Amino acid sequence: MLNVENLSISFRTDEGLITPVQGVSFKVEPGKTLGLVGESGSGKSITTKALMRLLPGNASLSGETRITYSAKDGNEVEIHKIKPNARSLRQLRGGEIGMIFQEPMASFSPVYTIGNQMMETIRLHRGCGKREARELAVEMLEKVGISNPSERIDQYPHEMSGGMRQRAMIALALSAGPALLIADEPTTALDVTIQAQVLDLMRDLQRDLGMGMIFITHDLGVIAQIADEVAVMYLGTIVERGATRDVIRSPKHPYTQGLLKAIPSLDTLHDRLSPVPGDIPSPTERPTGCPFHTRCPDFISGICDINTPFEVSPVAGRSVRCWLHSDVQGGRSAA
Amino acid sequence: MLRFTLERFVGMVITMALVSVMVFIIMEIPPGDYADRYAFRKFSGTGVSVTEADIEAIRSDLGLDKPMVLRYFDWIGGIVLHGDFGQAFAFETSVVKVIGDKAWLTLGIMLTTLILTYAISIPVGIYAAVKRGSSLDYGLTIFSYLGLALPNFLLALIMLYFANKWFGADIGGLLSARYQDAPWSLAKVWDLIKHLWLPAVVLAWSAVAYQIQTMRATMSDELNRLSVTAARARGVPEGKLLLKYPARLAINPIVSTIGFDVNRIFSELPIVAAVLGLTELGELLLKAYLDLDMYVAGAILLLLTFIIVFMNFVSDLLLAWLDPRIKLGA
Repeated sequence: MLNVENLSISFRTDEGLITPVQGVSFKVEPGKTLGLVGESGSGKSITTKALMRLLPGNASLSGETRITYSAKDGNEVEIHKIKPNARSLRQLRGGEIGMIFQEPMASFSPVYTIGNQMMETIRLHRGCGKREARELAVEMLEKVGISNPSERIDQYPHEMSGGMRQRAMIALALSAGPALLIADEPTTALDVTIQAQVLDLMRDLQRDLGMGMIFITHDLGVIAQIADEVAVMYLGTIVERGATRDVIRSPKHPYTQGLLKAIPSLDTLHDRLSPVPGDIPSPTERPTGCPFHTRCPDFISGICDINTPFEVSPVAGRSVRCWLHSDVQGGRSAA
Repeated sequence: MLRFTLERFVGMVITMALVSVMVFIIMEIPPGDYADRYAFRKFSGTGVSVTEADIEAIRSDLGLDKPMVLRYFDWIGGIVLHGDFGQAFAFETSVVKVIGDKAWLTLGIMLTTLILTYAISIPVGIYAAVKRGSSLDYGLTIFSYLGLALPNFLLALIMLYFANKWFGADIGGLLSARYQDAPWSLAKVWDLIKHLWLPAVVLAWSAVAYQIQTMRATMSDELNRLSVTAARARGVPEGKLLLKYPARLAINPIVSTIGFDVNRIFSELPIVAAVLGLTELGELLLKAYLDLDMYVAGAILLLLTFIIVFMNFVSDLLLAWLDPRIKLGA
């Protein structure tokens, strides 16, 4: 339903042109979940913002970028070509693709009730009257597990608890009936028990509504619970992808291996935590060659710091961008 | 909202009562009173020797011999019960007659200036924030600094010159000569409006410059909020989005300083009025103080502070309407 090819995003800044996302391609199928994993600064949020054309004014998509989306009515929409003020863009936002954010408190406006913001969205996309919109909103709040929805609908965001707000946020994003949901770290700000509830809820809603979903997180544990496919991002490129179970069982890229090792385990309480060493470089100081070579434990001097690795497919259905899995001369052939 | 309004209203009434006491005390502070001043005026240079008893007689004539507390209650009782602001000694008539029209004209200038200030600065500030970094934004910033740097009286002179040269506007006054003493009519109001815009533009000038910067700064902050991106991601059209989400909160610091703006306009009014030849209250207030004509001074001070207190009440209600968290937190 969503096909992203060669997505590159550049920003004009005072330090010159920076390109925090380079040549990212992925697909989302109806009813399936793609997990986008990476540290802060890996470009995963910017990538999803580009899908809804929510990037700030100093950002631009490269000429090779193609983002196509099949709308609910069957039409193909070329998202990368839509003009900023086009009606079709407003229909896409909310009506076709819904988005939920990490901070439910900050993503609601504090000065309107939950119901006001839901009904606004419903009326924009479904063109129905006030009363009908209210009924739909109450129904949606009930669906996300909010008790007394017909009273809660008139509450302000600050009158709700954190988990409740995140449920309301999901209800808001789904109120116009999108076919694709982008969830940008929706559980990161919640405590663990509520996090599990919200994940369950999202999985159930996805099954009931048959939505495609892009789930962004830095937590591979969360990905394991919700995503069918996973794409690991580092400095604006996808370094590894595949079916979630396969990637978690046998990670190919040293970065994915590092991320998995960094998850604290209850079985190894006495061991020290093993973080991925170093920090993610700033996009202004992008390393030459493989972007990860500055932190890579298996770095091959003379290759990784000079040549950018190709995407290769060591196993069917998997791909990885790493010189450990390609031979230098052969380019695309598997190691 | 009703409860909140009532609370604020009661608060306003209490503030006004306290303010009236303070105003009365301020009226009493200058040494001497109108009885001294009257005796001096009447008999100085006539060779008549004035005794303490004569002054005391004048004082009792004017009702100034009673104790202060009693006089306060007489005064405030007259105002509240009969709209009677007391005697304007120097004019030998009532304060209401002296102040009357001038009060309305001053109020008219203030309101026109306020409306003009907000009608320009709020939309322009929003526009500048949305187009931040554009050449238009820089142009507006330069205008703002110019507006803040230019003294009012100079601006008044320049405006007066061009208004007269280009539009043939009358110089001076708020009313044309033939309407000066005419009863109020539609034609007179129209004549007033034709005269009012000039002082209003002069008085609004620096406030517009200042409030554009305020609006631009807060609007820029609000535009970066996640709630704005979230609303955009739900397909809310841009124009509606700007007004409903960021602008409603960005306007907050402007609304909360309405009272200050009223005060500032009144302080700047006398100089502008002097240049433009307007009659207004500020000038009268100064004169009343020099003459120790206490009830005139008191009435003007009271009116002014009441306007400010009332505007603060209005701004409280507006703020609560703009941001419901204020009401709930109160």
